Amino acid sequence: MKSVTEQNFVVLLQEHQNIVHKICRIYTNDSDAHKDLFQEITIQLWKAFPKFRGDSKFSTWMYRVGLNTAITLYRKSLRHVQSQRIESVEYKLSYEEYDDTKDEQLKLIYGAVRKLNDIDKGIVFLYLENKNYKEISETLGISEVNARVRMNRIKTKLKTQLNS
Amino acid sequence: MDELELLKKDWDKSSTNYPNLNNEQLYKLINKKSSSIVKWIFIISLLEFSAWTLISFLFDGAESLEKMKSYNVEHIFYPLTIFGYLVLFVFFYLFYKNYKSISATDNTKMLMEQILKTRKTVKHYVIYNLLFVYISIVLAVYIELTNNPEAQSMLTSIESEGANNIYILYLTIIGFILLAMAVVTVILLGIYFLIYGLLLKRLKSNYKDLKALEKAI
Repeated sequence: MKSVTEQNFVVLLQEHQNIVHKICRIYTNDSDAHKDLFQEITIQLWKAFPKFRGDSKFSTWMYRVGLNTAITLYRKSLRHVQSQRIESVEYKLSYEEYDDTKDEQLKLIYGAVRKLNDIDKGIVFLYLENKNYKEISETLGISEVNARVRMNRIKTKLKTQLNS
Repeated sequence: MDELELLKKDWDKSSTNYPNLNNEQLYKLINKKSSSIVKWIFIISLLEFSAWTLISFLFDGAESLEKMKSYNVEHIFYPLTIFGYLVLFVFFYLFYKNYKSISATDNTKMLMEQILKTRKTVKHYVIYNLLFVYISIVLAVYIELTNNPEAQSMLTSIESEGANNIYILYLTIIGFILLAMAVVTVILLGIYFLIYGLLLKRLKSNYKDLKALEKAI
C-alpha cells in the first residue's frame, strides 16, 4: 500500500520528469553523473514536496527545486556531481551528445555551455526552456537586471570560446 | 546564426529523446537512500570483523594460544572463541537480511519499520560486543590467577601473611577489572559511534522525513 502523497507525487513527477532530465543534461558530462543527479533531484523534490502548496504550477516548482539542487551539488564538487554512489534504478540514456554528436558544432556549443558557472548554466537552461527574464530571475532568485546582464555576458563568452 | 539559437533548435528537437521512467522506477528512486545506508552497515560490519580477526592473528594470536595450552584451559578458550564467531555470523546474517528487505520494500510504512529494525540490530550488536569483551576480561583475569605460577606463588605468600591482605588483593583485582572494562567501553563506544553512529544518524533523518510525509497526508 502506498500513501496518497506518494502516489500524487510520483504521478506528477512522472508527467514532468523531462524537466529533471534536461537539468541533468546541462549540468552533467556523462550518463552516470546524469543518473546520480537525476536521483538526487528526485529525492530533493520528494523531500520538499510537503512544502509545495500549489500556489505555483508543479512544473515551475520543479524548475526551482531542481536547479537549486543542481547548483548546490555543483558547488559542493566543482568537477562533477558526485553522490554517494547509490545504486540507481536502471534505465537507458541515449543522448546523442553523450556519445558522438553528429553535428560537430553543436557538440562544441554544448561543451562551451558546460564550462559556464553554475548560475549561468541555469540561465542558459531556462532560456532554452523558453522562459522570459522575469521567470528566469524568479526561478534562480536573482534580479531581472542581473539576469539580462548575465545573459549578455554568456553570449559573448560563448562566441569568444567557440571562435577561438 | 547565434550559438544559442542553434542550441535551442537542437534542444527543442531532442526534447522527446529523454528516458521515460515509469512510476515503479521513480518510486524506487525516492526510497533508495535508506537502502544504501543499510548496505553500508552490512559492509562495514564485515570489514570490522576482518579487521579484528586480522589484529588478533597479527599480534598475539599464536602467543596467547600457546599460553592457553600451557594452562590447560582449551575447554574454556575454544568454545568461547567458537561461540563468539557464531554470534558474529548471526549478526552478519541479520545485517544482510536488513539490507535485503529494505531494498525490496516499496512502501513507506514498511520502510520505516525496517529502519527502526536496523537501528535495533546495530544497538544489539554493540551491546553484544561490549558484553563479550567484559566476559573475556573477567575470564582472562581468572585464568591468569588460577594458572599462572607467578600469580599462584604471590597469592599463597600474601595469604600466609594474613586474611586482611587477601581482601585488599581481591579488591585491587576487582578494581583493575572495572578499570579495564571502563577503558574498553570508552574505546569501543568511541569507535562504534564514529562508524555506525553517523550512519544511524542519517537513517534517523530519513526516518523523520518519511514520518513527516506520513503526517502530511
